[in-house]
Amino acid sequence: MHRKSVATVPRTVLPAALTMLAFLVACRAAQAAAPAPESTTSPPPSALIYLNATRIDFYYDRFLLEADGNVRLRTSDGFTVTGDSFSMDLKLNRFLVAGHVTLHDSSGTVSGAAISDFLDFRRIYFVPVTSEPDRWTFLNGDLAHPAKGRVMPGDAFYFPDVPQQPSITGTGAVIGTKTFVRFINSHTYLAGAPIPLGSYVINFSPEQYFAQNTLSGATADLTWNVAGTDNSLTAVHLRYDPTYHTYLAVEQHLVGQHEYAIFSVNPATRAEKWWNLDLYEKLGSRFQISSFTQYYTQQSWLSLPRAAQQTTYLTATYAMPHSYLQATSQLTNYNVLGPGALELPHTIAGSLDHPTQVELTATSFQNRIGKLPLYEQIWEGYGFNHDSVGGQQYLNGFPGYWPQGGPRFAPIPVPGLQAYGSPCPYQPVPKKFTYYCPVYRTIWNTVLGFSFFTPALKLNNPPSPYQTYYFNASFSKQYQWNSLPHWIDNTSENFTISRQFSRAVNTYLGYQILNVGDHYINGGYLPCTPVNTFYCPLSFTSFRGVSTLRTTSLGLNFTPTPEFNFSVLVRHHDDFPIPVPGVFGLPPNNILGQPLYSWFLGQPPYDASFDLRLKILPHALMDISKTLYWYGNPYRTQFWQPATVVQILPI
Amino acid sequence: MMRRRYGLAVLALAAVLLAAGSAVVVSGQLLAYQDGYVFFTSGDGFRVASDIIIRDAKTGGNTALKPAPRIWARATFNSSGTVTELDLSRAPLPAQGSFADVQRFAVALSTPAPNPDLLAYAATPGPDETPLPTQHFSGKPVLVTFIVQVPPITPFTSSVYITTDQSGWNAQAIPMDRIDALHYQITRRYPSGTSFRYLYDRGSFQSKEVAQNGLDRRPRVFVVPDADVRVIRDNVYAWQDQANGGVNQVQPQVMPTPYNPAPFPNLPCLPPPQPPAPGHKPPPPPAGCPGAPPPGAPPPP
Repeated sequence: MHRKSVATVPRTVLPAALTMLAFLVACRAAQAAAPAPESTTSPPPSALIYLNATRIDFYYDRFLLEADGNVRLRTSDGFTVTGDSFSMDLKLNRFLVAGHVTLHDSSGTVSGAAISDFLDFRRIYFVPVTSEPDRWTFLNGDLAHPAKGRVMPGDAFYFPDVPQQPSITGTGAVIGTKTFVRFINSHTYLAGAPIPLGSYVINFSPEQYFAQNTLSGATADLTWNVAGTDNSLTAVHLRYDPTYHTYLAVEQHLVGQHEYAIFSVNPATRAEKWWNLDLYEKLGSRFQISSFTQYYTQQSWLSLPRAAQQTTYLTATYAMPHSYLQATSQLTNYNVLGPGALELPHTIAGSLDHPTQVELTATSFQNRIGKLPLYEQIWEGYGFNHDSVGGQQYLNGFPGYWPQGGPRFAPIPVPGLQAYGSPCPYQPVPKKFTYYCPVYRTIWNTVLGFSFFTPALKLNNPPSPYQTYYFNASFSKQYQWNSLPHWIDNTSENFTISRQFSRAVNTYLGYQILNVGDHYINGGYLPCTPVNTFYCPLSFTSFRGVSTLRTTSLGLNFTPTPEFNFSVLVRHHDDFPIPVPGVFGLPPNNILGQPLYSWFLGQPPYDASFDLRLKILPHALMDISKTLYWYGNPYRTQFWQPATVVQILPI
Repeated sequence: MMRRRYGLAVLALAAVLLAAGSAVVVSGQLLAYQDGYVFFTSGDGFRVASDIIIRDAKTGGNTALKPAPRIWARATFNSSGTVTELDLSRAPLPAQGSFADVQRFAVALSTPAPNPDLLAYAATPGPDETPLPTQHFSGKPVLVTFIVQVPPITPFTSSVYITTDQSGWNAQAIPMDRIDALHYQITRRYPSGTSFRYLYDRGSFQSKEVAQNGLDRRPRVFVVPDADVRVIRDNVYAWQDQANGGVNQVQPQVMPTPYNPAPFPNLPCLPPPQPPAPGHKPPPPPAGCPGAPPPGAPPPP
């Protein structure tokens, strides 16, 4: 009982703190929607236009909105217009109503032939028909005092040519100028057949934060933007991936100029759910803070979870004149349900670990060294890693490893952050696992890194720029010393010689050396035995945690027109240890599905990548890429392994 | 008799030619047709004859079309400036005549007055004045080449993209090509006058560029000028997901070390770090551990 209460405290405080942070950021995002005080130099405030017509068509490729029949629009500026036809260029931010127009506002009603509102310029051009036609211009929203007879721009009453098939058709729309259109009673078309959409939002805000998303990758994703305003967007995604197959996901965006909050559930219709929360806030001109929290549950709809995990990344950055400070933290709880969840029937809740990592790093700007064509950058950091789950603190286990007929929970073989050294003197009987001692629950680390690089240096000076060779080089090194007798160093060196042969063709020849040293002062990597077998090939018998990966690359790009591109990259890897097919896998993933580290052994010695891009539609690009890789001697068990990827990219 | 007939024919032809000479024909798109006036998209309104003839522009016969906004029309003006005939079409008609020729027939109550908005950019600068930047673009296609220098810690196999507000900030909208150790390049064609905001990224918004001071950066803004080609050179100082000083992240039961848990036969025999799904059969322990399959054994089904 006492044990449960101790474990519950941080699990209660953390969600509360995150909820408060979410609330503060959401409040800031909501405040951002409030109009700023108007000044003479500021751009016109965004306006809302409520539009109804017999038929409203939207053309996605040109951002045109065309409506005909009983057009009626009301603006947030306070006037109402009716007419026969409506046309709006959403990018140019201007609209036109033509045919039997009536303009109504607080000063009265005027009839006319057409009215055009150039919203960005705060000019309304009107062709009234009183006793005879006339030309009036309303300046700065003043409808009571038209400038009569003023010459109008030649394109004030222009109808664009539109393609035959609209993207979306509806009977009502709410237009947030320069940000969004929400269609009412709408449908889209698939091979000419209408597909009902109901309410659908097109967001074309220049605000980049609308593109932030918290969904993991999927093979296919159909997005239905159900609701939205100029600072929010609600979307339902119909997705497919090989793991969960077809499912629904929900995502909510709240966006301001200096902040955003994004929440999603993905998949929402599968027992395994990932609840994501992404927050960002910029405070002043020098400081920003962001967080990403992912909460995993295994539950049927919203029933009691059978397992729950949570991880949170926090990043705070403070900018200084020539450098910046960045604090990063990762908080993970592999069993939010606590120890009691392990006793539930059919439980699948596992590890009780909740490791914490905090790192404070100072990074300089890129600085030129004297007048040399050489730049440098340095960084230094201090870190703290802790996992309070120590040796034998809890009993726990995995169903697959439960001993047959034995105790219900098998103990975790290696609790804490790292088991180091040699097998412990006391081992479980019967021996199902090997325990290693001692166990470290707290590790401090210090990081120091630097890099040097050259810009593109000319190697010759011929009369034609297409005969010039350029040289590039970069060198990066980073040390990480841990408080236990263990340190890591990474070194990366890159050299390339490049030449552009013509406007369409350029090539480069590159050589890269990547050294990763995983050094243990005592112990660490043990010799691989038995020697020179499939599992212990020769180079592994001498492997002690230091690898050298050398890569020679030859790249060629052929771009005869901007609409067509073909590129080839051929590489040869000369690695130590020599890769052995099947012995080394990809690095394991963390609970976000990301690789735990970027270095791994086992690259095939040869690979060739081909990439073909061509424009297939005015606003779509097709990208076909294929990678072929193969092992040479002595591992002829695997040869060409084609992996083809075809993507359609909107442009 | 023959001479009289010939004389009448000449007179009739002269009358026809005179009548034809006084008629002016202009084609354009209709803005409105109401209150005894026809309006074109030039904004000009013209009087319509009470007995106006409305025909199909293609066949010259009757038409079900009615004069309305968006309809294309060929208007025939009589000598007094009244529209006597409208030939209608849904499709654009070949250009015919000029609205400058019928401007004098346009009806407007007020006397035309100059528009300072339109004159602002046309004013000739004085000797000591800097000419105002012109905002007029021809819209001609311009080849724009983007060359970006990436930070040295960018993985050699990374793909770099340009994301723009024109493509809804699609993070993979414009893939770039590596041209050497530190540079990527792409050439695109845009009409002059195109204005857009853009950022560089490595395939997702989580891996977009950040400013040199580590903070989120505002997008770059580019307006395509009236030129044949334009080269844009940019510098990316850091990626959001790849800060300098990144260390091996600590995970439970996973040593913060590059190669562990490596599948070496004689390293600690760890179970998988995450609980397997119900019904999922766990993988066999690594070679050398208790319960491992013998070398050369076929993989489990």
